[in-house]
Amino acid sequence: MTLTAQEFAFISGLVRRDAAIVLETGKEYLVEARLLPLARQLGVATVSEFVNRAQHRPEPETHRRIVDALTTNETSFFRDGEPFSQLVSTVLPDMLTRRAANRNIKIWSAACSSGQEPYTLAMVLQDAMPPGWSFDIVGTDISQEMLGRAEAGQYSQLEINRGLPATLLVRHFERNGANWRVSPALRKSVTFKRLNLAAPFPSLGPFDIVFIRNVLIYFDVQTKRSVLQRVASTLRPDGWLFLGSAETTIGIDDRFERVVTGRTSAYRLRSAPKTAPVSALGKG
Amino acid sequence: MLTMVIDDSRAMRLILKRIVAQLGFEVVEASNGKEAMDYLTSTLEGGTEAPGLALVDWNMPEMNGLEFVTAVRAEPRLRSMTLMMVTTESEQSQIVRALAAGAHEYVIKPFTPDAIIDKLALLGLLPNGVAA
Amino acid sequence: MTANPTEDDLRVIAEQVWSSYLDTDGASPLLPFPAQQRRDDVSASVSVTGAWRGHVVVSCSDTASRNAAAALLGIEHDDVTDDDVTDALGELANIIGGNVKSLLPEPCALSLPHVLMEKTAGRYPSVTEVCSLNGTWLDESVTVSVLESTADFAGVSAP
Repeated sequence: MTLTAQEFAFISGLVRRDAAIVLETGKEYLVEARLLPLARQLGVATVSEFVNRAQHRPEPETHRRIVDALTTNETSFFRDGEPFSQLVSTVLPDMLTRRAANRNIKIWSAACSSGQEPYTLAMVLQDAMPPGWSFDIVGTDISQEMLGRAEAGQYSQLEINRGLPATLLVRHFERNGANWRVSPALRKSVTFKRLNLAAPFPSLGPFDIVFIRNVLIYFDVQTKRSVLQRVASTLRPDGWLFLGSAETTIGIDDRFERVVTGRTSAYRLRSAPKTAPVSALGKG
Repeated sequence: MLTMVIDDSRAMRLILKRIVAQLGFEVVEASNGKEAMDYLTSTLEGGTEAPGLALVDWNMPEMNGLEFVTAVRAEPRLRSMTLMMVTTESEQSQIVRALAAGAHEYVIKPFTPDAIIDKLALLGLLPNGVAA
Repeated sequence: MTANPTEDDLRVIAEQVWSSYLDTDGASPLLPFPAQQRRDDVSASVSVTGAWRGHVVVSCSDTASRNAAAALLGIEHDDVTDDDVTDALGELANIIGGNVKSLLPEPCALSLPHVLMEKTAGRYPSVTEVCSLNGTWLDESVTVSVLESTADFAGVSAP
């Protein structure tokens, strides 16, 4: 561990200012681990030296790359599994009834990192939606580098080995050298945009379903509230919200109510019109 | 759950055994498809517990993994056995062949323990209380 | 027409193999530069036949082979036997060879691994080296090479 307390404070200040991410003391190992590859890339031997330089010879590009390295979410296909099963068994049947008029579903995958979540949603919807229905998926992230990766839709063997059912692998991916690339059809069904959740964001949506998983945990309570508020405003009144398995809106925003579905929970706005016929739920 | 680990490499059998043993599964090893089939036949004839899961390599002498999968899927009494291939064969056409022969899942070597565990979760085979 | 594998391909494959089995915590990766002394006390190879013919060879110092066996088999370095080294190196060659095979023209088949606990210079006549990765792991020499056969079916070497 080479990082001094002062250097760590500089980094946590930078990340807090640019991305509203909170890095408390105790997270020095994370900074060390995440910045080492970046330091090496830029020809500097230790993280401490790298941070020192970044602090005393500030360059916006370097600062941006530091923030990117620290805000990158680990992600994988079908991460945690359950939310996607519940999407299919509870949420989509509900949507099929409510959107019968225009037969379209819009989903936002926020903080999507290298794109596995939006592509997972695309694969799930392609299988679950009846003919005549369309869906639009938007994946957003603060990091330009991650968005580039997501847009390329190319994954390593280690990445496709995790969580992705083999039947979906052969159906939606093609080998490209040592990597696997999403098929053109799957690629077309997802749009990627750069977006910083902690900053005012351009109007998006309205969405029927929002996935914002494992990113709120990094924010302080105030930022969490502000993000949830803005997410709520992009959500249709009867739309659904999915958070990470260890996250909840309880205590942060009481506009949402928790709906326990199977072994996981999803959230809806309390004011959601409960007009869907009961018999339509749970089918399929 | 009784699990079969079928691979002609002792090193690979050890690696896989470590992963599933941590989940509390009991493990039976075989070094090729024929040995594994002989074992399964003896459990069926002897009325003892047949494994619920098999992790199967592809390239093995005597009877390879694809042949083993085909043979198991042809036996109605082994209907409930989950077959996961764990192999270096990573061409798209090979994966398609394995799935067509009746393999339920497919893991490419090299794999991390999480890769195996995630797939077991997908198949609903993780014991309760184990996080995916 | 598939291009031949490159050193970069070997680097990607090695990185995945190391992070999966030999360097699970990221503290001791295979560094992509030659060790002080290139050693091939132990080598494990698989042969490739079919649309492409040749060998994929993993060779390393004696110490590295024991480190690999210890890591792969989950045993103490001092408890490693020659059989352990054979099993571990053989499986590494199998996995690396299998991944190289998927970059070669289809269809190809891999042989069972052959492990030699002796110097291997000149062991493969009638081959050209397509690419190789000379690496350092825990300060020891580890090399991965892809060798393509140059002899035609009549056994006469190509000019």
